[in-house]
Amino acid sequence: MLHPLTQHPFLCIARSLVHFPSSKNAKCHRHARDIFPRPSRPLSRQLHDRPATDAPPATDQPPPPVSTINDDEVAHFSRLSALWWDEQGEFALLHKMNAHRMRFIREKVLEVRRDERSPDGGFATAARSSIESSPHALEGMDALDVGCGGGILSESLARLGANTLAIDASAENVGVATRHAAADRSLSALSFRHASAEALAQEPKRFDLVCSMEVVEHVDNPAAFLRACAELVKPGGHLFLSTIARTPLSYLLTIVAAEKAFRVVEPGTHTFSKFVDADELIGFFARPLARGARPWISRTYAHGLPTRAEAEVRGIAYIPWRGDWVLAPRATTPWSTQANYLFWARKPKDNP
Amino acid sequence: MLPRPSSNIRRSLLCKLSRRGSPHVSGRLISGSSGKMPEYDDCDVVILGGGPVGLALASALSSNDTLRNSLKVTLLESSDLNRIRDWDPPPDAFSNRVVSLTNASLDFLIEMGAWSHVDVERTCPMVDMQVWDGVSDVRIDFNAATLGISARDGSNQMARIIETLNLQRGLLRHLKKYTNVTLLDNTKVENIFGDDILSGGWPVVQPSVGRALRARLVVGADGIKSVVRSYSKIDSYGWDYPARAIVATLQHPPRTVLFNTTAYQRFLPTGPIAFLPLSPTASSLVWSTSQALAAVLAKADPAILASMINAAFRLPELSVRYLHERLLEAPSISLDDLRAEIAFREKAHAIPPHSALASVDVQPNDTIVGIPDQGAEMLPPLVASIQPGTVASFPLRFRHAESYVGSRTVLIGDAAHVMHPLAGQGLNLGLGDAEALARCVQSVIMYGGDIGSRTALMPYSRERYFENHKIMSAVDKLHKLYATTAPPVVWARSTGVEVLNELDALKAGIISAAGGQSRAVGGESFPWSTVANGLEALVSGARVAGAVGSGLKSVAGNILQQLVRVTSDPGNNKRE
Repeated sequence: MLHPLTQHPFLCIARSLVHFPSSKNAKCHRHARDIFPRPSRPLSRQLHDRPATDAPPATDQPPPPVSTINDDEVAHFSRLSALWWDEQGEFALLHKMNAHRMRFIREKVLEVRRDERSPDGGFATAARSSIESSPHALEGMDALDVGCGGGILSESLARLGANTLAIDASAENVGVATRHAAADRSLSALSFRHASAEALAQEPKRFDLVCSMEVVEHVDNPAAFLRACAELVKPGGHLFLSTIARTPLSYLLTIVAAEKAFRVVEPGTHTFSKFVDADELIGFFARPLARGARPWISRTYAHGLPTRAEAEVRGIAYIPWRGDWVLAPRATTPWSTQANYLFWARKPKDNP
Repeated sequence: MLPRPSSNIRRSLLCKLSRRGSPHVSGRLISGSSGKMPEYDDCDVVILGGGPVGLALASALSSNDTLRNSLKVTLLESSDLNRIRDWDPPPDAFSNRVVSLTNASLDFLIEMGAWSHVDVERTCPMVDMQVWDGVSDVRIDFNAATLGISARDGSNQMARIIETLNLQRGLLRHLKKYTNVTLLDNTKVENIFGDDILSGGWPVVQPSVGRALRARLVVGADGIKSVVRSYSKIDSYGWDYPARAIVATLQHPPRTVLFNTTAYQRFLPTGPIAFLPLSPTASSLVWSTSQALAAVLAKADPAILASMINAAFRLPELSVRYLHERLLEAPSISLDDLRAEIAFREKAHAIPPHSALASVDVQPNDTIVGIPDQGAEMLPPLVASIQPGTVASFPLRFRHAESYVGSRTVLIGDAAHVMHPLAGQGLNLGLGDAEALARCVQSVIMYGGDIGSRTALMPYSRERYFENHKIMSAVDKLHKLYATTAPPVVWARSTGVEVLNELDALKAGIISAAGGQSRAVGGESFPWSTVANGLEALVSGARVAGAVGSGLKSVAGNILQQLVRVTSDPGNNKRE
């Protein structure tokens, strides 16, 4: 057991600096474990701490749901719930980020749909352009927004035509989101529930699209949380995540700059030790999530990156002088994912 | 946080009751508080104002498939739009409200298909522009052919001059095709209010006739006294110029050698006088001058106004000033007395009675006989008469809203900015706003955003605010620069203009910055390279100017700096 001081963020920075930038996949995971031993919570942050054989079996034998909800986090966001739709206040950065993550979702879903069409031109240019220019790119899809907060992303998913269910661990958030969406009569395909991903995974309903944006870094047991989210995805469906990498840069940006120096985000919103690196997510999905199941990511290439058809990581950065976020192009080095990033993975079609 | 104190609900209902005074409606509203929506008509976009900018936005929101299928649009206009729809003047009579559309504005109208509904016969290309200093007579000549400025169809033109009514009628005809836009004319806006509880904070527009409209986004295209701007609590700063502009339709003989496609503008210390060609025998006047003189001229016999216009373009500044004083002293001066005064001034300045600079003893119709005098192309044709009923005047103002975006509201056109008409940029900026807003809204819809949210509209305001401000302040500075007769300033501005006149690249850059270059022709690199070339030449020009007039370097520098500001690249929208 390590002394509690070893968890101090500055020490973390010091340690990560020692390891960066040479750390590659395997090394990185080890160091993640080294820095954040959290003996009282064996599943915390260490996404690969359990061999796949220990993973909960498939849905036919449901394990008792493990709650990954952190009460302090729920209390924190409940306190701020009134501010969700103040676009110039506490959540301004999230509002500004929304268009970019929606663009990522839209383009990725369309890209997969394009890839699925027969390659021999069964997909006429006219039909293609009508899909590409359609304002309802998610028409006919079932979408789930896990940790919807005030419903910023959920409303957008519904506007693009997805039949959307949005859940949150805070009843206050669900209340705010429901009331806000009720003012917009075009959002009839959107509903909210006060529920956890684990509880929802116990129900039979599965989704074409599961999104959980800026949530992984707020839950207690990310491995269990991700497993629940993954389980909620239909075979061949999409899982979209966004979170923050655990790097010196992200500490500087999200905690020192955003929370402490400029107060654009309420202090205490982020906990550095709970941030998740992109290669940890890739590593998590490169292993079978259940006994005998195919892993979502079958292989990785240079910089440990997966193929574009299986998973994708894209950095996203806030540029203060532009007052807006910028989504890094696909062909950038992993340096773009040193702070905020978006993650997409697709459940194999033959995966129950 | 969830349930609001009931006293709040009650208070707001009371407000409603007193505001609308209809027990029937408020009964519905009470049921609204228990979860049911009050009965407003929902509308995605409500545009206030049916001027050219409001109509252009409505057209842009309906001519694109994505926008047409996603948005229900209502446009409210207080006047009768049928008077514009049925506007059918004889071919030789022109309205006095005229604008020059830059090639960029034309591209916007062509791309959305509205231009084909405009009566192109009644428009006129502006191929050449002659601008000169009223005091020093130093002249700058912008020629579309030499500067390589062309419209989408490849023809060389800097802008196209069109009657506002022709443009509005074209936009109305274009809108007839689309069902997603409802035009409500003869409809005033009685009130705009937002109610947190019952309408979710969305603005509700109460028209003078018909049901209230609850809008996702209210667009203020409602001019300088915008109700949308006051509802949004957006201040606008600015001032009134101590001047008024006189407009009129001028009739003149056709030109013999040249086509009537040249615009002329003379900067007099009292304000610029401009001549915009409309047809071979008709042109439009925009003359900004002192309020007192404008009042006299607007009331005077049209023949007196015509003589004053001819003199204002031709006589030296000293004599123009004298004539103005004379007219102010004796507003009821007879035409013969005025002509005698002008004849005397011409003689005093040794202007030969038949030169291009003479206007009294020449019958305008004589100018079509024979070869025109030397320098005739440097001056507008002699005005023979004023089309009856076309003399009008309006105040000159500078206003810029502090922000373009409010809570589910957005400002475009004159509601956002009003400027001096000397560069003819006001409507072009407004059309640019409409185009940028439609583009912004489309991208918001593609990514599932709420088009009424501030965040969603941020790209619009980022694209337009500084762009507009740049042009507005350049035009304002230009006006102030030319309002003075102090010799050092006159010398400096004249030197600056003489230098500039030799630099075709920089001149082309100025025209491009003001939207002159068609996107379809110019390509991406055009403005940058010309501006870069021009700047290089300008720097050496500034050095020469500095060496010549040692003590006045900074004055010249200011003008050059001003010109450089005008030339900064129009495509550089992203800059903060």
